[in-house]
Amino acid sequence: MPPARAATGSATDRAEQSRAELSAQHRPECSPRFPIRALLSLAPPIDNTKEEGEEKADRGGAQTSIGTGYDLANSIFSPDGRNFQVEYAVKAVENGGTSIGIRCKDGVVLAVEKVVTSKLLKQGANKRIATVDRHLGVVYSGMIPDGRHFIDRARDESRSWRDTFKTPMPTADLASRMGGYMQAYTLYQSVRPFGITAIVGGFDSELEAAKYGGPFLYMIEPSGLYWGYYGAATGKGRQAAKAELEKLDLSGSGTLSLLDAVKEAARIIYVAHDDNKDKEFELEMSWISGADGPTKGLHQEVPKALREEAERLAKKSLEDEDDDDEKKDDDKMQE
Amino acid sequence: MDHRPQAWGRPRDDVYGAYDHSYLQSGGPKQMTQSPVVTGTSVIGIKFKDGVILAADNLASYGSLARFTDVKRLRVFLGTSVVGFGGDVSDMQYLDRHLNELAIDESYEGGGAQEEHGEKGKLNAANLHTYLHKLMYRRRNDFDPLWNQVLVAGLDAAGKPHLSSVDLRGTAFTSPSLATGFGAALAQPIMRKYAATEEDAARLTRDQAVKVVQECMKVLYYRDARSLDKYSIAVVTKDGVELKEDEQLEKQSWAFAEQIRGYGTQTV
Amino acid sequence: MFRNNYDNDSVTFSPQGRIFQVEYAAEAVKQGSVVVGIASKTHAVLVAIKRNAEELSSYQKKLFPIDENVGIAIAGLTSDARVLSNFMKQQCLGHRLTYGRNMPVRSLVDMIGSKAQVNTQHYGKRPYGVGLLVAGVDDQGPHLFEFQPSGMTEEMVAFAIGARSQMARTYLEKNLDAFASCGRDELVQHGLKALKESLVQDRELTVENTSVGIVGVGKAADGSTKVEPFKVYDGQEVNAFIESVADDKEAEAEAAPAGGSGMEVDDE
Repeated sequence: MPPARAATGSATDRAEQSRAELSAQHRPECSPRFPIRALLSLAPPIDNTKEEGEEKADRGGAQTSIGTGYDLANSIFSPDGRNFQVEYAVKAVENGGTSIGIRCKDGVVLAVEKVVTSKLLKQGANKRIATVDRHLGVVYSGMIPDGRHFIDRARDESRSWRDTFKTPMPTADLASRMGGYMQAYTLYQSVRPFGITAIVGGFDSELEAAKYGGPFLYMIEPSGLYWGYYGAATGKGRQAAKAELEKLDLSGSGTLSLLDAVKEAARIIYVAHDDNKDKEFELEMSWISGADGPTKGLHQEVPKALREEAERLAKKSLEDEDDDDEKKDDDKMQE
Repeated sequence: MDHRPQAWGRPRDDVYGAYDHSYLQSGGPKQMTQSPVVTGTSVIGIKFKDGVILAADNLASYGSLARFTDVKRLRVFLGTSVVGFGGDVSDMQYLDRHLNELAIDESYEGGGAQEEHGEKGKLNAANLHTYLHKLMYRRRNDFDPLWNQVLVAGLDAAGKPHLSSVDLRGTAFTSPSLATGFGAALAQPIMRKYAATEEDAARLTRDQAVKVVQECMKVLYYRDARSLDKYSIAVVTKDGVELKEDEQLEKQSWAFAEQIRGYGTQTV
Repeated sequence: MFRNNYDNDSVTFSPQGRIFQVEYAAEAVKQGSVVVGIASKTHAVLVAIKRNAEELSSYQKKLFPIDENVGIAIAGLTSDARVLSNFMKQQCLGHRLTYGRNMPVRSLVDMIGSKAQVNTQHYGKRPYGVGLLVAGVDDQGPHLFEFQPSGMTEEMVAFAIGARSQMARTYLEKNLDAFASCGRDELVQHGLKALKESLVQDRELTVENTSVGIVGVGKAADGSTKVEPFKVYDGQEVNAFIESVADDKEAEAEAAPAGGSGMEVDDE
């Protein structure tokens, strides 16, 4: 196979070829107990029977990775510079319940769709949005135990920040520290990346730092990459959720109020769930306002009454939309 | 003359003689805190029918100097308990930060559960006292004590008033009325007149108990030279904590001072 | 040989984002004999089928007390369960020592969840090969949790894990609404009936193979609530429980539904 590839002459193929040659010369004993050793040589299995054309055709898709050997361990670059294990971790996120975050002018709202996997689950007892510090909240999609670990670490970070600086941790710094933490899990073969994408919301006190205070929102991916957002969405329904978030007036001098953001968050989770209608779900929401807002600068669960009101409006808005669709269909028929 | 940099700014040996380095070396074992530095004086507390009252003045002394006059020595924990600190103020600040972290730990456990269960499942005053007891006793066994005596006021698991004390030696106890420092000698006898037993305390109304505490604060100001007439008072009941941090002693009468002989400008 | 290249360790994601080693560990739970747990407003019960390796050997215990207020039921690798059980005992004891109260059940379960998660993210470690049902009581009342090798922990109203547990879960789902108001004996009866659903043909509940564990909220002499400690019933102690769900008893109850026992009778 390698010589055939060399004929195509692309840079990546040349790299692949030279590695294959290298490893053919110094092929280490491959212990069946630790097949991972074989990966250290970065060599695709010699007896790989996969047709080259097949591989070429779907480069860029998931199939590119399979069978090359580059996807069998973390921290391995493929010849075109990808870490497939991180990409697979993203897949774990994409199967999880939708999480969103909204940063509006006077606060942050976090919301998550919790798909009910069993009737035997105690309703409302299993929380998915966690408090990291008084003013910091995190929601995540993907592998829930990984999310718990992430939360534990975030709490440790925010505590040690308090110990060192005697002040609450700014949201941006938490995002930075946790981004670094996630990234570290892409660096070694001895660990796997986190199977979550986390949305971090916070309200940095205006009282302690007038210039820098205010609501903040960040989203951290399994690679450790993070950006600040006005509206962030991850998990199964992220596409629909993003489309809805983009319609809101958030960026710059956005006008959406925190109360309305709660209602929008509920609606967006309902919209994002719409494609997954047959499965029941619970909506969980939390919010953070400034010191003079409803949560007094604290990260708290949205009160039951408000959440139920938001859910009622969300359902109504979905029904109205359906009615509209039907009407349109009717119109079409009449035409 | 010695021009090496390590000799710069030092007294010249040829003028003053060699420096006696033994001055700062005890030669004994390693020593930790031997005495408090900036201190707060008495904290007093008394139980009544529906809760507990705690009071302490707003002074932090540096030796006999009234160094800081707006120091809050009553700290609220989780909105349901109050801790009053006597003794070293920097150790108080350390403990305050520590208890703040403990309170953040408590906020991790289900934000929503709070709505459903209220304060149920949160650390109450009795739990807090147990915790502080372990902490102080541990520190004294490390020969690195936190130089405080603290009072803990709140409710216990059964919803009954809880008042307890723990000091730098890790000694812990409870009583219907408690006072630290000078208060143990000056305020405790007064409070015991009204609440000698749990039964007595359970008959006191809130207003009566507040009056007793105000009276005690006044006596402490008269007789304790490290005290102040500005003080804080906290009332803890099942409805939460009412904390007033800017109280002024009223109706003082210094007429008795006339009778004191041996000080001041008297000539007889 | 290997099912695929992605299932040799717990640090490799499959292209679909799955971790096969963790899924295989979950299979180990299904090898264990079935255990059932149910929680009501006042009690949480665990019932289990015990297995013996051979005719003359003893039966492997399935229920273990952790502390006064918590007990667990295990399905899967017993030796892994012991590691978790010891850890939970230490945590409960530590919490009791520092705070003077029962460990909140969710905190405890979260701790083993975190512990288990680490084993799914590091090379050279393996996930625990055991699932647990954790029954306990704290200030917020009775709780039932499920723990999985992945580190996933969830609070349930009722649940069953282990071999053929799907049948037991179906029974539980059918009777879900009845549990909240059940008394302790009714809860055990539901548990045993669920257990029966999972039994292999021709097998039945006996005093040798059945275990029952109960923890609840009781009333103290002064009317305040107190914990009814977790107790495991084995051998002759479970006879009455087994009798109460015997097939002929069922028929009897069906024949005379006005018995006033308040017991939910299965329609089938």
